[in-house]
Amino acid sequence: MAHFDTEYQRLEASYSDSPPGEENLLMHVPEGAKSQWHHIENLDLFFQRVYNLHQKNGFTCMLMGEIFELVQLLFVVGFTVFLANCVDYDILFANKFVNHTDSSKVTLPDAFIPMDVCSNRIRDNAFVIFVLIISGVFWLHRFIKFIYNVCCYWEIRSFYINALKMSMSELPYATWQEVQARIVEIQKEHQICIHKKELTELDIYHRILRFKNYMVAMVNKSLLPVRFRLPMLGDCVFYTRGLKYNFELIFFWGPGSLFENEWSLKPEYKRGGNRMELANRLACRILWIGIANLLLCPVILVWQILYAFFSYTEVIKREPGSLGARCWSLYGRCYLRHFNELDHELMSRLSKGYKAASKYMNCFLSPLLTVVAKNVAFFAGSLLAVLIALTIYDEDVLAVEHVLSSITLLGVCITVCRSFIPDKHMVFCPEQLLRVILAHIHYMPDHWQGNAHRYETRDQFSQLFQYKAVFILEELLSPVVTPIILIFCLRRKSLEIIDFFRHFTVEVVGVGDTCSFAQMDIRQHGHPAWMSEGKTEASIYQQAEDGKTELSLMHFAITNPQWQPPRETTHFISQLKERVHREATGVSSDTHPLSLSESEPRSLIANLLAGPSTLASVHFVRDGSITNHAAAGIGDGASALRSLSPISSSLHLRGSLSAAHRAASHASVMSRAMAGSGTDARTVSSGSSAWEGQLTSLVLSEYASTEMSIHALYMHELHKQQSRGELSRHTWHRQESDESSDSIPDEVRSEPKPHSKHFPRSQTFPTTVPSPSSIPTSASAGGSTTMGQERVSSHSGSQRRYSGPNTDSVGPGRKVVRSARVPMGGWAEDGQAAPRQHEPLPEEGSEDEMPPHIHKVT
Amino acid sequence: MNCRSEVLEVTVEARQVEEAMLALLHTILLHRSTGKFHYKKEGTYSIGTVGTLDIDCDFIDFTFVRVSSEELDRMIRKAVSEFKEALSNSGSDGIGQISLEFYQKKKSRWPFSDECIPWEVWSIKVNVVNLANEQERQICREKVGEKLGEKVINVVEVINRHEYLPKMPTQSEVDNVFDTSLKDVQPYLYKITYQITDCLGTSVSTTMRRLIKDTLAL
Repeated sequence: MAHFDTEYQRLEASYSDSPPGEENLLMHVPEGAKSQWHHIENLDLFFQRVYNLHQKNGFTCMLMGEIFELVQLLFVVGFTVFLANCVDYDILFANKFVNHTDSSKVTLPDAFIPMDVCSNRIRDNAFVIFVLIISGVFWLHRFIKFIYNVCCYWEIRSFYINALKMSMSELPYATWQEVQARIVEIQKEHQICIHKKELTELDIYHRILRFKNYMVAMVNKSLLPVRFRLPMLGDCVFYTRGLKYNFELIFFWGPGSLFENEWSLKPEYKRGGNRMELANRLACRILWIGIANLLLCPVILVWQILYAFFSYTEVIKREPGSLGARCWSLYGRCYLRHFNELDHELMSRLSKGYKAASKYMNCFLSPLLTVVAKNVAFFAGSLLAVLIALTIYDEDVLAVEHVLSSITLLGVCITVCRSFIPDKHMVFCPEQLLRVILAHIHYMPDHWQGNAHRYETRDQFSQLFQYKAVFILEELLSPVVTPIILIFCLRRKSLEIIDFFRHFTVEVVGVGDTCSFAQMDIRQHGHPAWMSEGKTEASIYQQAEDGKTELSLMHFAITNPQWQPPRETTHFISQLKERVHREATGVSSDTHPLSLSESEPRSLIANLLAGPSTLASVHFVRDGSITNHAAAGIGDGASALRSLSPISSSLHLRGSLSAAHRAASHASVMSRAMAGSGTDARTVSSGSSAWEGQLTSLVLSEYASTEMSIHALYMHELHKQQSRGELSRHTWHRQESDESSDSIPDEVRSEPKPHSKHFPRSQTFPTTVPSPSSIPTSASAGGSTTMGQERVSSHSGSQRRYSGPNTDSVGPGRKVVRSARVPMGGWAEDGQAAPRQHEPLPEEGSEDEMPPHIHKVT
Repeated sequence: MNCRSEVLEVTVEARQVEEAMLALLHTILLHRSTGKFHYKKEGTYSIGTVGTLDIDCDFIDFTFVRVSSEELDRMIRKAVSEFKEALSNSGSDGIGQISLEFYQKKKSRWPFSDECIPWEVWSIKVNVVNLANEQERQICREKVGEKLGEKVINVVEVINRHEYLPKMPTQSEVDNVFDTSLKDVQPYLYKITYQITDCLGTSVSTTMRRLIKDTLAL
């Protein structure tokens, strides 16, 4: 047999059958749970806590605050009891003599009653015991709550530090929008919500404000029984914390409430089938809760007093305006709140409106009272003067009994009287003031406009903006009145309530059941009289009153520029913005001879802004030299304008992102111009762009409120025109015509180089309404959008620089480098100090103080 | 809330309940199980194998696939037969719901107990009908088989979606994600609960817990 030689060979090194499960198996590397923040169980609570911690400025601040509050309570209760029971006042008042042998001096310890007597006295007094027990329980409750919260918030703290990469020290200086942007960012990585790949801003708002949105909607639809017509007092509003607590208890979280858990309505309430039965059940529950309230009345009263005392410091801390005599009522806060508006947003808005509001209320001093007050003040003043003169002559007068006390009393009396005597220089211009107020509070019934001088309007406004004394009185009455309201008023509405929750609850994927109003869907809840004509398909029952849907939508879109609304909504927003924008540009042309469009039915913004803008130019021309008080009334208008006019610039600012690059070439010129004036460090430091990004977000958030103000005013104005035609026009014209002669500053017009000459003025940059000077160059360009862009380029370098980084931060990439460490309130760092005048914050300076930046005009 | 929930509804005859439930639960678990993890030193692991079995139903024209793990099968059978018992004893109109919940454990610090956070809940609503004669039963047998087939496809569709799943754990965390008590297979941690009547009232304990939590909330 021949030797076959094939190519096939036996493999020498044969592989041995390795047992399975050894090295040739596929190996995996576990990712492990990198963070504990994926998939959080209760996102509602989680976001609320994240928000709270941010609002409380970080963990340490919160901890210290809470500890001090606890100590305070102990101190207050202890001290009161001590004063009431353990001090012998007879000795203090020297009615009884201490039988000291050695000296005649009475010492403080002499006035103290010995321990055993004192404790006996306390033990015998049932009332004191009762108060002590309740406050003991109250304290214990606070204490347990404190411990619990420390544990919970510790976790949130580590969330901030590990996941959001923000340290607690920088937290007070970060805006909520920044925090939110980071949360949105980390969702992609950690999946804190498992339903969606990406969270939107609206989702977060919905979760934090789920129940508040319901409350706002119910107040908006007048479902809650908070307005009453009483025989003696007329129309009045009663809405206290106690009542609110009970409402929330009944609807949202109490035993047997409508909600199954924090995020879903019980399924039976979603079906219409047995609504009658459910309504009966609800009525029954309300009855029981009302009775429980009635029974617990005394306990609640004491609790309330403690709580009021306790939370008073809190109120002051949160709301600077609350130190004044008035405050925004609880009802007002509900009525004025937008859907999806967080607490701090509402508070800042209302605080801005505070001054104007209190000024408005002060307009209505009763003349009779003034006369009486003047005379009382006269007599009291003379007595006081005599006493003081005598004291100065010989201070032994003070030793006479009650002289010191009468001096004090007379002083107080005069102070009180003085508050009833109006300022001699004050001018009654309620309509203006109301306008300014509206710019901040955004909501107002239709019939107020044009009736601002009437007492009815004032009375109704005082329902929103009440005396603090009234507020406290209502709180104290609340334990008695609440059960009555629950049993007699709310119970009757149970069927409506059931229907409300059924109709206006939608289930949103990834969020759960929310109030459908909070979706801010124009189509579903728009009101035809508020610009959503033709877009809305809502029945009257579904329409939100007072244009709440529209205004809320604008507010939300403006405060969260990165939010991407659904398409129709986007359309609405952009349409409105464009209109406002166009009209805003229209204003400047209005004031200028080269007026653009008379064809358009008298532009609305002109109505709004003409006065202001012309005023502004007046101010520029006169270099802030309006000192006579005739201008005081206008001063308010001016402050209105100050709050308004930056808008047009902020409109450009936001609207003209695309124009940014074009503007760049102008930058150097502008900055030189600015450096000349030497005040605008923003421009001076134009070379460095490192901090621009952070500045942008901050500045934008500040502009947002201004921009919202103008949108609110615009929408109100439009609404008014829609509903009432041309009726109330004259109220606005007067002022304009008064000033129109001055309104076109000759210098400005005659300036050879509008750009550079005009520019120094724009250190008041926010204030500079696209002023006439730019018109000759840009008005010819025609179309409103191009005008806007032109304006930006011709306007100011600073703007441009904002729009520059802006494109980055708003762009689709969303790679927001938010390393901003700029304090929220002010501008601490020196290099960035200058943008201060950039805060167009619509603070109504009183009319006699000129806006600071106007003084600075060179 | 932070969990997906899927609802399946079936209408079956009383004697088919057990098999129908088993078919669905096993189908879901088949996709939610892996082989045993064998961890190596360097923080890697290999996955063991999982066998499958075809199961023919007696009362339905249907065959389903399940993981060939007797232990797992026993546990599910136990749950299902309890459910069946409860359903037949309830005497009501024979509506019940059995739910299969996948969850994760999260370790908490001292004052709080470990949390079980569900990430996916499958609820199967069962509607039991009584049939009069053999003919109808025959039809029902085929129809239920078809229906179950559709459901299985549903399940597969849902599972194929690219959605949240707990990340693969490291050795120390494996108990937080997977049920490691079984010898031959390792499903995600799951819990089977059932409910008979339609009434979905929250129990007293949950209400109390919420009440306390709410008063404590800031």
